[in-house]
Amino acid sequence: MSVITPERPAQSKQRKPKAKLRRFYPYFLIGPAAVLTLVFLVYPVGSVFYYSLQHSNVTQPWNDGFAGLDNFIAMGSDPLFWRSLTFTLQWVAVEVGLQFIFGLALALLINKTFIGRAVARSLVFSPWAVSGILTTTIWILIYNPSTGIGRYLADIGIGEYGFSLLSGSGTTFWAVVLAEMWKGIPFFAILILADLQSVSLELYESADVDGASTLRKFLSITWPHIRQAVIIATLLRAVWEFNNVDLLYTLTGGGPAGATTTLPLYVAQTAIHDRDFGYGSALTVVAFMILTFFSLVYLRITKSKEDDK
Amino acid sequence: MMRKNKGPSLKRNRRGGTLVGVAAIITAALGLGACGTGTDSSGAEGGDVVLELWDTDTRPERTENLKKLISMFEEKNPSIKVNYLGLPTDSYMQKISTAIATKATPDIITPKASDISALVAQKALAPLDEKFEGGGWDAKVSPAMTKSSKAASPDGKLYLTPATSLADVIYYRSDFFKNAGLSAPTSWDDFYAVADKLTDKSTGKFGYTLRGGNGFFSQFVQMVYPQAGVDTFFREDGTSTLNDPAVVAAAEDYVDLYGKDTAESDLTADFKTMVAQFGSGGAAMLSHSIGSYPTHVAALGADKVAAVAPFPSKSGKSVLSGRMTTGFAMFETSKHKEAAWKFLEYTMSVEGNSFWAQKSGYLPGNLEVAKESWVTENPAMQTSIKALENKDAVVLEQPFYLPEFNSITTTEMLPEWQRVLQKQLSVKDFLTQSAEKLTKAQQKYMKK
Repeated sequence: MSVITPERPAQSKQRKPKAKLRRFYPYFLIGPAAVLTLVFLVYPVGSVFYYSLQHSNVTQPWNDGFAGLDNFIAMGSDPLFWRSLTFTLQWVAVEVGLQFIFGLALALLINKTFIGRAVARSLVFSPWAVSGILTTTIWILIYNPSTGIGRYLADIGIGEYGFSLLSGSGTTFWAVVLAEMWKGIPFFAILILADLQSVSLELYESADVDGASTLRKFLSITWPHIRQAVIIATLLRAVWEFNNVDLLYTLTGGGPAGATTTLPLYVAQTAIHDRDFGYGSALTVVAFMILTFFSLVYLRITKSKEDDK
Repeated sequence: MMRKNKGPSLKRNRRGGTLVGVAAIITAALGLGACGTGTDSSGAEGGDVVLELWDTDTRPERTENLKKLISMFEEKNPSIKVNYLGLPTDSYMQKISTAIATKATPDIITPKASDISALVAQKALAPLDEKFEGGGWDAKVSPAMTKSSKAASPDGKLYLTPATSLADVIYYRSDFFKNAGLSAPTSWDDFYAVADKLTDKSTGKFGYTLRGGNGFFSQFVQMVYPQAGVDTFFREDGTSTLNDPAVVAAAEDYVDLYGKDTAESDLTADFKTMVAQFGSGGAAMLSHSIGSYPTHVAALGADKVAAVAPFPSKSGKSVLSGRMTTGFAMFETSKHKEAAWKFLEYTMSVEGNSFWAQKSGYLPGNLEVAKESWVTENPAMQTSIKALENKDAVVLEQPFYLPEFNSITTTEMLPEWQRVLQKQLSVKDFLTQSAEKLTKAQQKYMKK
């Protein structure tokens, strides 16, 4: 006892720094990830919020300074903002809706057993593997009035020479929708097919025995299985389509007459071309808030439906 | 025993974990460090100076010529090396803005006159007046080009060397004209008449290609202001002349070409599309600057391309547009200003200027070079020079000094212009609302 007692405090003194280190050890491990997140996520997003409250135009630095809500108020009377926002919502709804419908149909089709299925699957998925700029180039060539489909149609007497689907007032929207669908449909098809392959065949066999129709089998067996994948795919696709810049910028530049300018494309024009970073940041903040609100509402609705079941 | 056994094991794990943590931090730090790597033009082997030159126009033939110009300069100045970097033509200002923000600018840049205002506002460019006059260049270089270069800056100083200049012309396919038994147009009425005669929609051939897309404003000015006979963008009180009745009338004539004597796809046509259409035989006439002459000749051959200067107005007034100085500028942050100035001087010297202007198809700034045979024998240049020889001719200067000029004439006006072509907006309303924006910008500038 006489030996042990005096040693105890010494041992506890030695252990204290180690215990302290141990407490901080997890923080130390997540430190690099936290630093990277701060530098590459929190700082850029924070700086956009900061600049949205500033007048910051590199072509007019003498006007730079705190703007308060001026940039947000200016949006109210900016027709280009409202036009681009309206187009963005229309674009997202049409793109996601059509991509989902055709993606689902395609997934159901290539889930069947037939000769050459592997080749068909590879062909279906290939547009998704093509880079955005290459996709645009392909469609620019297709729509080119001198070398594309328009010329060949004119050669056989359909339409006029010198007409481009990308510049017709009633055709531009559907021309760009088609180009984007070409790339987007495989995305839905891949995700839905992956879920379809996990559905037990026994379920379909049992349904067949019970005399269930094709529609009943789809609603009662297929849909519940793929529902979660569809929710994730539509949410992701909606966010990506909302943020679409590459295809529209390179295919139409947002034209003609601003008819294909999405909100992010307008942000790019304002901040990058006009170098008005204050107003561009305010537009970005609004886009950020719209997307956040949409994602929360969408997930909430889909989750509550799931809970009801 | 158990504690003893666990102890070392824990220590070993902790050491391993620590090592992983440290490695992660070092990796992250290296990654971040790599992000901060900028342009370093200060170092050079053997004490030589290395200059960084960024070019904002990367057409292949221009890149080749600029690299040749650099090698000619390096031969004359063995202690100076110039590193060339071509920036994407349609997004070079992004790179430049980032470089300015991060203080990683090069020594030399080739900005457009329309970029000067924004760059000067950021205090990015070095004024060249002192060096220019000190070197006696004001006597060796075209005073008109020097004046035009100074007019593009908001403070009236010289930032862009008046090495070369552009001028607007109307190109026409001389082979098409010959086949149709037509001669080159000599008036605006002539121009519209031949555009109509050369249009045959059933074969996909149009009389003219109209720039409805990016960069429309320069073509619009080229075709409308000379026709209207209006020689200034602003009246003395700072109000824009865009809604002047003569400008509106001329613009209406110009817009009437669309769809009638042009392809409908011209609604979104930019420079490349126009050139492709002209080169492929889809259009018989094209408005652009003399700078694209080598491109047309390379595509078609000199015997198939000819040019005329924009015609005088009906009242007989001769307004010349597109007399835009093109040259080289030096960044304020350059650590080698003397060496950079040597390069800038070389581009204005007889040897450098002659090579660069000839290969680029630009009007030379050096007065001696302007007398050389390649200038006097170049049809596009002669057209521009002769137009300037007319004593009554007035050069129309675009207000590049206005900070808002670029955003008004592109982001704001382009969609509305396309609505005009689609008949969704009248020419008069378009020009009235655009004039209001330009007036506001000019009057704000005048108050400063």
